[in-house]
Amino acid sequence: MMSILNISNMKTSRYMIMLMTIGLVTLNYSCKKDYLVTPQVGTISPTLLQTKPGVDGLLVGAYSALRGVQADGTAFGGLDSWQSSPDNWVYGGVAGGDAHKGSNAGDQDPIASIAVFSPLASDPYFNTKWIADYEGITRCNNTIRAATKTPGYSATDLANILGQARFLRGHYYFDLKKMFNNVPWIDETTVDVLQPNTTDIWPKIEADFLYAYNNLPATQSDAGRANKWAAGAYLGKTYLYEKKYAEAKAVFDPVITQGQTSNGLAYALVAKFHDNFNADTKNNSESVFAIQALANVDPGGITQANDGDRLNYPYGASSPFDCCSFYQPTIDLVNHYRTDPATGLPYLDNFDSHAIKTDMGLLSSVSFTPDAGTIDPRLDWTVGRRGIPYLDWGLHPGNDWIRDQGFSGPYSPIKHVYTQAEQNTNGDQHSWGPGSAVNYCVIRFADVLLMAAETEAQLGNLQTAENYVNMVRNRAANPNGFVFQYLDNTNPTGGVSTTPAANYLVNPYPTGTFVGQGSAYALKAIYYERQLELAMEGHRFFDVVRWGIAGPALNAFLQYEGNITSDITGGHFTTGRNEYYPIPQAQIDLEVKSGKSVLKQNPGYN
Amino acid sequence: MIIFYRRPSIAVESWQKLLRIMKLVILLLFTGIMQIHAAAYSQSTYNFNEQSISVKQMFKKIEKASKYTLFYRLDQVKLDEKIQVTVKDASIEEVMKQVLQNQVLGFQVMDGNIIVIKPLVEKNVADQTVTGVVTDASNLPLPGVTVKLKGSTIAVSTDLQGKYSISIPGASGILIFTFLGYTTQEIPVSGKTVINVKLVEESRSLNEVVVVGYATQKKKDLTGAVTVVNVADMNKTPSGSINEQLQGQAAGVTITGSGQPGQEPDIRIRGINTFGDNTPLYVIDGVPTTDVSTINPNDVENLQVLKDAGAASIYGSRASNGVIIITTKKGTGKVKIQYDAYYGTQVPKGGNVWNTLNPQQTADLKLEAEKNSGVTDFSDQQYGNGPTYVLPDYIEPAGAHNGDPSVNPSLYYINPNYTDPNDYNNFYRIVKANKTGTDWFHEIFKTAPIINNNISLSGGSDQGSYLFSANYYDQQGTLIDTYEKRYNIRSNSQYNVSKNFRVGENLSYTVTENPQVAINGPDAVIAHALREQPIIPVYDIMGNYAGGDGPGLGDAANPVAIQQRTKNDRYVGYRLFGNAFAELDIVKHFTLRTSFGGELGSSTYHSFQYPTYENAENSSVNQYNAGSTSNYDYTWTNTLTYHQTFGKHDVKVVVGTEANQNGGSDIGGSRQGYYSFDPNYVSLSTGYSGSASNYSDTYIKKSLFSYLGRVDYSYNDKYLISGLIRRDGSSVFVSQYGVFPAISAGWRISQENFMKNVSWLTDLKLRGGYGVMGNQTNPNSTNQYTQFSSSVGQSYYGIGGSNLVPGYYENFQGNPAARWEKDINSNIGIDATLFHDMLSVTIDYYRKDIRDLLFNPQLPGTNGNPGSPYVNIAAMNNRGIDASVTGNFKVNTDLKLNATLSLTTYNNKIIKVATDANYFDTDFGRRVGTNLVRNEVGNPVGEFFGYKVVGFWNSQAEIDAANAKAQKATGDPNAVYEQDIGLGRFKYADVNGDGQITDADRTFLGNPNPKFSTGFNLGVSYKHFDFSVFLYGVFGNKIWNNVKYWRDFYSSYQTAKSYTALNNSWTPQHMNAAAPIQELNSYFSTNAVANSYFVEDGSYLRAKNMVLGYTVSPDALKKIGVQKLKIYVSAANLFTITGYSGIDPELPGNSTTDFGVDEGTYPSSRTFLIGVNLSL
Repeated sequence: MMSILNISNMKTSRYMIMLMTIGLVTLNYSCKKDYLVTPQVGTISPTLLQTKPGVDGLLVGAYSALRGVQADGTAFGGLDSWQSSPDNWVYGGVAGGDAHKGSNAGDQDPIASIAVFSPLASDPYFNTKWIADYEGITRCNNTIRAATKTPGYSATDLANILGQARFLRGHYYFDLKKMFNNVPWIDETTVDVLQPNTTDIWPKIEADFLYAYNNLPATQSDAGRANKWAAGAYLGKTYLYEKKYAEAKAVFDPVITQGQTSNGLAYALVAKFHDNFNADTKNNSESVFAIQALANVDPGGITQANDGDRLNYPYGASSPFDCCSFYQPTIDLVNHYRTDPATGLPYLDNFDSHAIKTDMGLLSSVSFTPDAGTIDPRLDWTVGRRGIPYLDWGLHPGNDWIRDQGFSGPYSPIKHVYTQAEQNTNGDQHSWGPGSAVNYCVIRFADVLLMAAETEAQLGNLQTAENYVNMVRNRAANPNGFVFQYLDNTNPTGGVSTTPAANYLVNPYPTGTFVGQGSAYALKAIYYERQLELAMEGHRFFDVVRWGIAGPALNAFLQYEGNITSDITGGHFTTGRNEYYPIPQAQIDLEVKSGKSVLKQNPGYN
Repeated sequence: MIIFYRRPSIAVESWQKLLRIMKLVILLLFTGIMQIHAAAYSQSTYNFNEQSISVKQMFKKIEKASKYTLFYRLDQVKLDEKIQVTVKDASIEEVMKQVLQNQVLGFQVMDGNIIVIKPLVEKNVADQTVTGVVTDASNLPLPGVTVKLKGSTIAVSTDLQGKYSISIPGASGILIFTFLGYTTQEIPVSGKTVINVKLVEESRSLNEVVVVGYATQKKKDLTGAVTVVNVADMNKTPSGSINEQLQGQAAGVTITGSGQPGQEPDIRIRGINTFGDNTPLYVIDGVPTTDVSTINPNDVENLQVLKDAGAASIYGSRASNGVIIITTKKGTGKVKIQYDAYYGTQVPKGGNVWNTLNPQQTADLKLEAEKNSGVTDFSDQQYGNGPTYVLPDYIEPAGAHNGDPSVNPSLYYINPNYTDPNDYNNFYRIVKANKTGTDWFHEIFKTAPIINNNISLSGGSDQGSYLFSANYYDQQGTLIDTYEKRYNIRSNSQYNVSKNFRVGENLSYTVTENPQVAINGPDAVIAHALREQPIIPVYDIMGNYAGGDGPGLGDAANPVAIQQRTKNDRYVGYRLFGNAFAELDIVKHFTLRTSFGGELGSSTYHSFQYPTYENAENSSVNQYNAGSTSNYDYTWTNTLTYHQTFGKHDVKVVVGTEANQNGGSDIGGSRQGYYSFDPNYVSLSTGYSGSASNYSDTYIKKSLFSYLGRVDYSYNDKYLISGLIRRDGSSVFVSQYGVFPAISAGWRISQENFMKNVSWLTDLKLRGGYGVMGNQTNPNSTNQYTQFSSSVGQSYYGIGGSNLVPGYYENFQGNPAARWEKDINSNIGIDATLFHDMLSVTIDYYRKDIRDLLFNPQLPGTNGNPGSPYVNIAAMNNRGIDASVTGNFKVNTDLKLNATLSLTTYNNKIIKVATDANYFDTDFGRRVGTNLVRNEVGNPVGEFFGYKVVGFWNSQAEIDAANAKAQKATGDPNAVYEQDIGLGRFKYADVNGDGQITDADRTFLGNPNPKFSTGFNLGVSYKHFDFSVFLYGVFGNKIWNNVKYWRDFYSSYQTAKSYTALNNSWTPQHMNAAAPIQELNSYFSTNAVANSYFVEDGSYLRAKNMVLGYTVSPDALKKIGVQKLKIYVSAANLFTITGYSGIDPELPGNSTTDFGVDEGTYPSSRTFLIGVNLSL
């Protein structure tokens, strides 16, 4: 037997040597540590970004977060883009009475809860908004960290980068502060991101804007970058929110007199009101700080084109837009634009009793004549209403462009909408909802003037305040800036006549009115002017809260409007609770340390 | 076995001598008669003087000094005994007598030079002859049975009549009857001269060879929890997917499938093991993979499921989700051609499957909702001005009637292939109302054919074996424009290069065309079908699509249009899968094997997005997309196997190494702005160049390197123990290596003497195992790195106001500290075979504790929004019982019955989800404004969460009382019990008892995990006929029926509505209703939040298949050269018994943490087949 084995052994050993060699080679090859190491693929390591172009890219990323979206239709955090829309149309507009949720019942129900002031802490909208702002903050912090580790910067260059990053961080925190009031502070030095929300962060926001104000240059290489004056305006706004009027005046004064845009235009109101909402006239002299919108630059969607406003276009069988009749201005808002035919001034108290005629309950096929009374011309650049040219899209047909009139009224939004002539350039059809190249101005000069007016009024300088308000009203009164009738209603892109589309009348307050009527009147007039000028720009709710009039103002609105449309019937603003939104329950539950959340819920939401 | 000692030098002796020895061996073996005759025909004399020498040494000396060769049995001679041998000129006989002085041994000198040593048997005991007949259980004679006297070499065989005759010394002793395939019997002679024996067939199943990790075992020797699946039963389900066929066939395996061709079902072995991917590891002919979608089920020879650590730990880091081992068919014997085919038709469910209201009823419901909401002025664009709503003749122009000038066809203008928005703005649509109602379900679900053709050619000899097979499978989906066409060829061959060296390969190549639709999503095509109003026809007056474009018609899209527009899209996958191997028996008991295998895959696709014009929400974009992917996955395995039996000990050892790596890449792009949409024109080159978008990605490479070992030891076939160990290194982790050991043991109680006479118990085995399995599926190799990235949507920005500038952002937060997820597993089980294989039972109880579970919990928002890394943070456990019972009953030669019942239970519990949070919510993004699912510590994965409905508000007094209580409890005079409280709306349970409904009152509403699932196969064969039925049931699970959201509430958009909404909703006259009051708005207290209205019991029992077959008599076929011919008819999914109100309670396609939600599933359809099996 041994010999049998020996005979076959010769053959066997050949194979064996072969196999074992292969095996050993494998073993050697595989045992190499490299075999089990996979490098980063298609991404960049943090240290690779510690170069000048890297830092600038991080800074651009920090700006980019202003849009609130991570992909087409998708907000940071993965939910819908409109939940973190930077114009705050839900949290500042719908909640403030500027607009209805719109669409029909059941569509985006969390907004309905917000509109009637019964928000739930578990509402995913708040969580999305929270994540979007902290993503912006994280990008600012990453920029600051990388910049300070990158060699070769001059002191001014570094200060410019840090200034922009801190300006943006200030913006994101400001947004959080006005939404949630009690929020944790995370900056470039924070190691543990589980921080309590019990310390007021106003001083930190101030510090960021102050640094930016002191360190940023007056002009920048790109129009979209924040400069010294944008920082000044935002710093003034911060002081105003804190009711630090003297400090606010100290910064508003130079902003108004010396301020200029990043592209070197001295701050001034543009002649035509609508130029603020026209993609072709973006970054003009009124644009203090704007979120840059570009259409048709992302084949994957409308991420750069006001993605968060994609729902907010006229909708219906004859509407040229794909989506979706949200953000419909309220009847109450429209009534504000009634002017006294004798004075051209607004009805500060009883605007609703001078209501502007609506087409509620009328089908588009039933004829309708628009209101013939005197109206502030800004209305028709703010609200699309039946029978009035809707940009160059034709006369607004009323019900045909409204998804559910009985639910949310007869009006359409307009400020972010592109024109028909530019639908292929400034309109963006790369997604299921439209995109637009109209910039959203976080702060525009009219806003600065009205904030300054408020500051002056609070400080007792009523004439200065009146002058600022009248600057804004005078611009509105410029007849060149009115909405005009079409030359041919069947060919709306064929140009407009010189006939105003409605009976427009707006006049400045006669000199001395504020002084004569006293500061309470002055403030009321300023507040009212803010609503007219900045309607549908996402400020309203935060303004009424800041003024301390949210309860009476919003409950009066709910009372009035709730009797006309069905969507907000029964809504009630509870003072002491609804001034701020609930801290997202998801975040409270995530930020637990030794069994206890480091985040405290806002009053009234427990 | 008898071991003979031979002189080592024998091999070099003459051929004749060898022949003599062989003759002698035969003599020894078969006669067993060996008497000592001390006949002195010795010619030589010998001289020895040994004072102390071992018997063995002495034998050597004798052989050296003489011509004699000594033969003896090792067990009969005490070789080591020390003896004294002093002889002078002695004969060989004298020498031998002295050598064997102290032993009761005799010797015989034969043929002059051979000495045989034998125990000394008393000469005076007379030989006795015992005779008898050996038969089988049915009294048929068994020829060739070995009859042997225990403790001797005396043995005979039975003749053709089963008769034997054996001469034994004396009347005592034990006769042993052995025959291959039958249980050995021992019978004491006790003076009997006739012993007739009935031999019982040995359990075939117990001796079935089972492929386990890197080795094979007999089923009776298994110590781990292994389910051996009956492949023939499996193949009865008409499907191209192994996983789909496996449903209900294996205890411990839960499978959820759908009706969509090519959609791989969700498969879970012993419950949910991780929050991520629960796909088991498949090992096909030794090659690990996670994708068996291309494997032709006709090629499967056997399939085993390794369920516990004792069985699966040998696969270490990939074992946690369980391992399924598949061996494909090999050729044997002479050339065989096998042809299997079936043709069938799949019939979708008939009737009004979604209980949709017809158009008039829809209008009536609208009126009712308006009335309920306080509307007094009824004017509707479609239905007129009341007081009742009347259906229009046309829905576009809205509400138009026959003869209206607005419906003059000359006004009609639609350019379906429009490219300019201005063109679109001029469209004039004319759409007739479908007053009888469009049945959207049956517009998209049609009867569809299914075809399977399989041919194989196989054979084998001692030179090797081969098998070639070819398969064409074509299943058209019942949903229009879905299908799976699959072409597959396989070649399995083995070449026996020499007696101890073998090489071979198993390779399959598959081409698959399989466009799939998203199922179970709120915006998937099926959801559109259930949302689209019935008044809308499929086409307008000119044959273009109609849709929801007109007022009041809802925002759903025409589902027929969605599907038809995909007609020219193509998705083709190519996959080469298999391995090549070499095996060498290096020395006796040792086998070296190397195998290199894996897959090379690629795919290409192109699709065209047409602009739409018929819906409420249209897209004007035309876009062509095309791309391709390629991937590889290889595994190189080298093992050394040692197997030896020593007496009662059986030892098998396997050691080895394995290297595995996978990766790949993809590339593609899109363009828009096509001049023409002709499918022959559109390509990535012909669109508008300014719209070009392209991408390419390299997949993250994942590598594993492993050392593995296993020891299987059995003693006396009674005590079994098995140890496995694997050390895996993975590219996923910074600390790369982890060790996964397991030990298991078995005790075959039935082999014990005290059980021997329990005749009904064929086999009884107790098994237990404990070990660790790993998991690293979910994280990828770059989990360790913090990464920054750049993408248009994420981080580009038009900083200058005109041009887009790239920016960077942190897209992933790395976690270098991640390590292996561990699944600590214990299992105890019983295998019993009763009544000689008639009944076999396997029951296993298991417990899995998953520790260091790799999970990527949501980062706190203060981190920003980078991708969250996998961290070893979570924990969960599973407990459960798997059981199966198989019965085989042979009533007579014509009638046979077999039945298998398998039962699967699992009980999942989350132990931990993160250091901080104790839950995470999933499933948002549906229209209900809150998450539906909460995964919370202490509860199972995927449990539904929301407000619990306890009734309706039936009176204002009831509402006032509840509000008063809330006001008292809160001290707030404006407080209400629940938001949007109102008559006929839901009353929610105040779970925390604070008098008000708040977030904190949300509670768990139901568990989508089944309490148990079961499969039951029953087969009957009678003469040439056979019939089988397979029932599958799932019990105790809950379903979130989100279809109700769309259809039971008027306020949920303007969708098609259900009978429930109209006829069984709350009204003051009908308070005992199912649905709440129908209103225009949605409310917190109706359908705006997740509540228990949507939760239903999802139990069902389904007749998965029934087969009736006829096998043509082989005698008739022999003449025409056919070996076997079987014809059968079968029906799949013939009936389903369920209380679930939706269309199909089987809901696949969701994630691990978010399942059992019905958004409109692709239902399984009834399938009727005719098939043939032909062997040549």
